Amino acid sequence: MNKTARLKPTRRSFILGLTLAMVALAFIAYNVIQVAADGPVAAPATGIVCTENASSTFTLTAKEGYISMADGNQIYMWGLAEGRDDFQYPGPVLCVNQHDTVTIVLHNTLIEDTSLVFPGQVDVLANGGPMEPQFDGQGNLTSLTEVATANGGSVTYKFVVNEPGTYIYQSGTNPGIQTQMGLWGALVVRPSMGPDYAYNDATTQFNADSEYMMMLSEIDPLLHQAIERGESFNMNDYNARYFLINGRTFPDTLAPNNANWLPGQPYSSLSHIYPYHPVDYPLPALDRFIGMGVEGYPFHPHAFNAQIIARDGRLLQTPLGQDLYEERFSLPINPGQTSDALYAWTDTYKWNPDAAPGDADEFPVEIPNQQNLPPGLFYGSPFLGNQDVVPVAGHSFNQCGEFYHIAHNHNLQQITGWGVVLIGQITFTRIDPPLPNNCP
Amino acid sequence: MRKRINRTVKRRDFLKLGGGVLAGAALSKYLPRTVGQSGAVVEAAGFSQVAATPADIHLVGTDGWIYLPGEIAIPGTVNQFYLPDDFAPPGLTAYMFGFRDVTGLTNDQVFAQKMKCQATAPLFWVDEGQEYRLKLTNVGLAMRPDLIDEHTVHWHGFRNAWPIFDGEPHSSVRVPIGRSLTYFYQPFHPGTYMYHCHVEETEHVHMGMTGSVFVRPAQNGNAYTYNGKTYHKFAYNDGDGSTGYDREYVINLTDFWAEAHWADSHVQLPDWTNFNAEIFMMNGRVYPDTLAPNGGVDGNPFNLNDANGDAVAPVGRPELQYQPLTSLIEVNAGETVLLRFINLSFSKQSMTVPGLKMRVVGTDATPLRGTTGADHSYDTHTIHIGSGGTFDAIFTAPENVTSVKTYLLYNRNFNRLHNAGAAGYGGQMTEIRVHPAGTLKAQSDPNTAELA
Ligand SMILES: [Cu+2]
Ligand SMILES: [Cu+2]
Repeated sequence: MNKTARLKPTRRSFILGLTLAMVALAFIAYNVIQVAADGPVAAPATGIVCTENASSTFTLTAKEGYISMADGNQIYMWGLAEGRDDFQYPGPVLCVNQHDTVTIVLHNTLIEDTSLVFPGQVDVLANGGPMEPQFDGQGNLTSLTEVATANGGSVTYKFVVNEPGTYIYQSGTNPGIQTQMGLWGALVVRPSMGPDYAYNDATTQFNADSEYMMMLSEIDPLLHQAIERGESFNMNDYNARYFLINGRTFPDTLAPNNANWLPGQPYSSLSHIYPYHPVDYPLPALDRFIGMGVEGYPFHPHAFNAQIIARDGRLLQTPLGQDLYEERFSLPINPGQTSDALYAWTDTYKWNPDAAPGDADEFPVEIPNQQNLPPGLFYGSPFLGNQDVVPVAGHSFNQCGEFYHIAHNHNLQQITGWGVVLIGQITFTRIDPPLPNNCP
Repeated sequence: MRKRINRTVKRRDFLKLGGGVLAGAALSKYLPRTVGQSGAVVEAAGFSQVAATPADIHLVGTDGWIYLPGEIAIPGTVNQFYLPDDFAPPGLTAYMFGFRDVTGLTNDQVFAQKMKCQATAPLFWVDEGQEYRLKLTNVGLAMRPDLIDEHTVHWHGFRNAWPIFDGEPHSSVRVPIGRSLTYFYQPFHPGTYMYHCHVEETEHVHMGMTGSVFVRPAQNGNAYTYNGKTYHKFAYNDGDGSTGYDREYVINLTDFWAEAHWADSHVQLPDWTNFNAEIFMMNGRVYPDTLAPNGGVDGNPFNLNDANGDAVAPVGRPELQYQPLTSLIEVNAGETVLLRFINLSFSKQSMTVPGLKMRVVGTDATPLRGTTGADHSYDTHTIHIGSGGTFDAIFTAPENVTSVKTYLLYNRNFNRLHNAGAAGYGGQMTEIRVHPAGTLKAQSDPNTAELA
């Protein structure tokens, strides 16, 4: 794609062009989906998609499938699907209420035994008895917990969720291979205070329309290829090449939930907020982070520090109830750990395109000339709610002068994928002008 | 799309409705929604600036060469090396992208700084609430005429940024060769930050377009007594002097993967998922060069350039001409030092000071206090700092020092404490030298020390 009528005869221009073309497709489709999303069964385009029911009883089927990377590679996976649903990665986001008794029936269609463990939960029952590590006759550990045997076995896990928060469920059998292959998902426990609170504390209230899962994981394609071919894989050779948010690489991360061109990757991570307003938009957004890598990811949201309010399902506070919240612009998203973080963007400066010279809200520097300074794909103008004319040979996906801010892994080698730049752990926050606005 | 927000009147409508300029100026600027942690939030008082106000600092983005010792062979070759790079000019070894401070230079001098970038990028600081303008000019890459890469400045961690001043190219504009953009900052949150180019960020950041910036709190200039010592300079608006200090040093951590730097000078591209840095730097240098004095006129790294506009090398170290910032920490006995750690490498680092306790008072430009003031600062001798993070740590030098006493500050990841694999000490290491009381004058600027 010819971005700004410039030519750059290198490999990187090809890659950039490829990326831009994919962004373009994603955004075109995004707008189509916006319309289609009015149907009764459609999930919202952005935000958490809960799998939930009144009895908090879930059937998860371990099965094989494929996911697609933004460079075009298809990766063989094992995943957890609800009931008879199609394969998906990651597994469904299970939402339950504090004090519920949660029942999970695991069916296994894979060629090896599998199981689930529930870090952060206590007194978990497996097939009616206490969950325990499994050993063979010689005393060798075979599984962290009771399994659903290969080729059709089942196991039932049951536990009471006493504490609200964000949790992981993941394979407890051959977990180095199986979690990498995709056998994991998120468990969200809503507090008794209500679904728009993260915990039972007034300071954890968030805007229910701006609640996001941020599940960070990675893929070593050679491991997946070995498993697909029925070969063994030496974990000493493990070397992740793709880095994903909610099971997708950028720019697919921005595509809507349940995008039909990503059939096994249902979860968007585009965040959508409005500027903070004390009356009209007083509540922050909530990100529920899950770290599924083998080392920590330093996750960097632009333009707002995220306020970490909890880790591993426990509110950060003193025994006396004073909060120990941490505002971070580099959030440590560590292996097997969850973090809940609130964030908001405030229009502190309020520069106005119509300001007269000398006005208090006059733009503070010479207004950039787009003929001189090539704009980005999501750029509308310097001003919120204002769109400049797109320069000749330029392209813009900006819809109504909304702002965008990137959020990405700051180990910058991990925002690339196997030789292609800008297809790693990247997503965006979209900030719409206050209502009423011209946004679709 | 799930939208469920109440309707509001746009501010412009409000003004039209007769709310008037007064109300517009006084009422409609909502305070940043960053609660107590960020300290006293000052309302943005008036935006009286006239367009085209001169910039406070002027940077160019370009390429260049620096000195890193050691040899890194190209695998599978005989006598061919990623480092030193065979294209390097005499005395220098490593190809970089970077910024240079060209404030006050003529236009011709500015463009003459092509292929003269510095590592680390110019350090600057802004007072809380101060209006600050940074002009960026792209003068191109001398070694890569085939690339017409734009540059930007991303002030990493700046709260409530407008995209136009954020520098991320999808959401803002980029600066092509021969053109300039002035970025405007009025920060309201004291603490330590960093900045870097965000165009083709994996490459441009790793290649060296990385620097340090911090924000001084409004509380500075007031006197607070803490643990029996009275301070006038503070890391944060602590209200009690607990973040007071006498001297401050920025320690900016970066890394160097020789293959990537060589590839850029040789019109190649690496697979970044093979990333494997061999060299670990502190303010753009490796130990023992970290101890060399500051570059600049009279050793002032904030007055870097000579009359022709070129950088003045540190005394006796011509090969460090484009690595002007020292990491040598000098302090009088009993004084308190604020270390502003910044990590712009691509992995976590573990900085340790045996023999001294550091108190971590802030991370990511946020004091370690809960929103209602619960203190969670802590004492440690090692900080673990992830990429894109900052730590503010304070130590107090011992009293009763009669001759210079030396401590070491280094990366506890020992596999990184060498220069390109050579024997001996190298990489991210520096010294803290404690002098007898009264040896040094009061510190004027960060990372500087003068004899009394
Ligand atoms: Cu750049
Ligand atoms: Cu950054």
